[in-house]
Amino acid sequence: MIETQRPQTKPPSAPPSPEERVRVLSVLVEDGANTLSKVSGLIRRRGFHVRSISVGPSRQPGRSRMTLTVDAGHAEVDQVHKQLERLVEVVDVEDITGEAVHSRELVVAKVAASDVAGLVSRGARVLDAGPDGTTVEFAGEGKDVGEFISELMSHGVKDVARSGPVVMRRTA
Amino acid sequence: MVLEALEREGVEYIFGYPGGANLPIYQRLAGHPALKHILVRHEQGAAHMADGYARACGKPGVVFATSGPGALNLVTGLCTAYMDSVPMVAITGQVNSNQVGRDAFQESDVIGATSSVTKHSYLVTNIDQLPRVVHEAFHIATTGRPGPVLIDICKDVQMAEAERVTPERLEIPGYRLNGHVDLHDARIAAQALAGAERPVILAGHGVLLSHAEPELLKFAEKAGVPVGTTLLGIGAFPVDHPLSLHMTGFMGTGWNLKAVQNADVLMFVGMRVDDRVTARLADFAPNVKTFIHVDIDGSEMGKNVRPHIELVADARLALEAMASHVGQVHPGRGTWFAQIDAWREEHPLRYTRSNGHLQPQDVLVDMYRRCRSEAIVVADVGQNQIWAALWWNYDKPGLFINSGGAGTMGFALPAAIGAKFGRPDKAVWCVAGEGGFVMTSQELSVAVEHQLDIKIVLLNNFSLGMVRQFQDDFYGGVRSQVDLTHMPDFVKLAEAYGLPAVRVDKLSDVGPALDAAERTRGPFLIDFRIDPEANVYPIVPLGKSLNDFWEAPTK
Repeated sequence: MIETQRPQTKPPSAPPSPEERVRVLSVLVEDGANTLSKVSGLIRRRGFHVRSISVGPSRQPGRSRMTLTVDAGHAEVDQVHKQLERLVEVVDVEDITGEAVHSRELVVAKVAASDVAGLVSRGARVLDAGPDGTTVEFAGEGKDVGEFISELMSHGVKDVARSGPVVMRRTA
Repeated sequence: MVLEALEREGVEYIFGYPGGANLPIYQRLAGHPALKHILVRHEQGAAHMADGYARACGKPGVVFATSGPGALNLVTGLCTAYMDSVPMVAITGQVNSNQVGRDAFQESDVIGATSSVTKHSYLVTNIDQLPRVVHEAFHIATTGRPGPVLIDICKDVQMAEAERVTPERLEIPGYRLNGHVDLHDARIAAQALAGAERPVILAGHGVLLSHAEPELLKFAEKAGVPVGTTLLGIGAFPVDHPLSLHMTGFMGTGWNLKAVQNADVLMFVGMRVDDRVTARLADFAPNVKTFIHVDIDGSEMGKNVRPHIELVADARLALEAMASHVGQVHPGRGTWFAQIDAWREEHPLRYTRSNGHLQPQDVLVDMYRRCRSEAIVVADVGQNQIWAALWWNYDKPGLFINSGGAGTMGFALPAAIGAKFGRPDKAVWCVAGEGGFVMTSQELSVAVEHQLDIKIVLLNNFSLGMVRQFQDDFYGGVRSQVDLTHMPDFVKLAEAYGLPAVRVDKLSDVGPALDAAERTRGPFLIDFRIDPEANVYPIVPLGKSLNDFWEAPTK
């Protein structure tokens, strides 16, 4: 009997769970007029769904770092990674799903209340305050951000802006 | 600037159409006699000609079109080339860079419209980008898994003067080329196939693109593995070879499908394993214990069928490495060959010829006898395509051209024209149904203008035959919108364009008509009026497993 390698991923007969379908990818891209549209177009065309996306300049000039949270939909989960790699605009893709990472989301919110001690005690920072209310910011992991937003409700929340997560591997 | 860059890339032919937004390029064309421009009659024709040219001679096809409708008319042709991994560079004119986004006359977002059907694309708004962009475009189009690349050039850039710049060394950090073969994986793959009781190899277009046919033959013979091909892989393995399984897929041969469904080790090489190959995926190759996939595009691994052994590499290098690690061949191989022979006997290709109508297979068999594995045959899409694929034992690569992935009707005539420009030494036969033919028949003008030796075999069944067959076989016999009752008189149509043509409706006239086509220099059309009920068999009903193929009635 010939020894063969084991399949490197699960065979298609075992469909991935909804959690397994969601991949977190750190993507280094070339800046360009068409880059964001190529990435988003690919995600649409292949039947994936974006849960969140954040883009900003990277350490390298002329390149941006995208943090994508993508549901693979009906496709094989590794297709998200592989299809992104095919784009000429994409320099590097790292699948950091389930890895030890720091993940941070930013919330900026306007509340009617002038007493925001409850929010500050959770780690929020007051950006400005006036007769109509207070503007606060908060950064944290997705779960903390979710809890923070629930807390906002009791302060007469008027408006919320929330970023997608940005992610970095842990140093240790 | 553009034209000089094309000369540097060694371009010989450009298939194109001028308009407002690419006038500056056209104004300078006369100063570049090395670039031969073929004026098409519709931009889709240009794209298919460039595609046929590239498939026939291996060099990238080059297309020009103007902005807006001109560029958008390329989309189908770009998609056809993209799906079948054909190297092409399309250069489109765009409105002035300061007008982009203002809905200027004949402005369209060409990059946006073509992003999903090109390997890569560029919008050039500055003359300094141009030399690098053109050089990169040709590199990307022709390397790795080939494909079409589009360059959209603003009109003011076309008019700008710049210092003559030779592009610097290519540096495209996001463009990865997989050539390297993992020798460990190659050895395991080779031994898995050689040591299998019932191994099968399926070969696709990638084998032809990397010229891996000798390596495939060598490995298959050494390891004693039967080889089938996809529709686009026809020519990758000689059909008259004892190890040949002919064509696979939902219109493949019965013995091929039996072999695939009973194989214990199955290797895909240079192919995508798409739905036309697998039919119902859940029932595909159910007895396989080890799937092996060789492809230069890593994203094909596990896209449809999850392989146990992956070789992300050039097919030729991978097969070469495998051939030197075959090891022990399984002693039971003779039984497997005998079984396949029995299936070949049991499920031969056949057709009905007793109903008094002219059968398409009669026409093609006579045509192919004249081709003698030398002529290039370009097929359109539909029944004509599958008949043309199955009714010849292709024993050499590069002789059969068709739109496999996109299935673009109207492909054959312009692609045949392009193929003839690419391989003027070869006879070129164009096989088409009348439905697809009229979609691009205006390109007959190009064939006549250049007196191209193209023999057009029209298999005219007065209907959209494949759709009609699907309706008959899989949609309860309800025929809907398939009768082409009002079509031109094709002999008169040909005469109107200035090429000779004849009509044939009985078997005894087939030979003389083909004789006349062969004798005639320049284009020639034969309107073969075939059995309107002729069908393609074998065929796997839609949504069924490969096991469930239907065969032609026995009488």
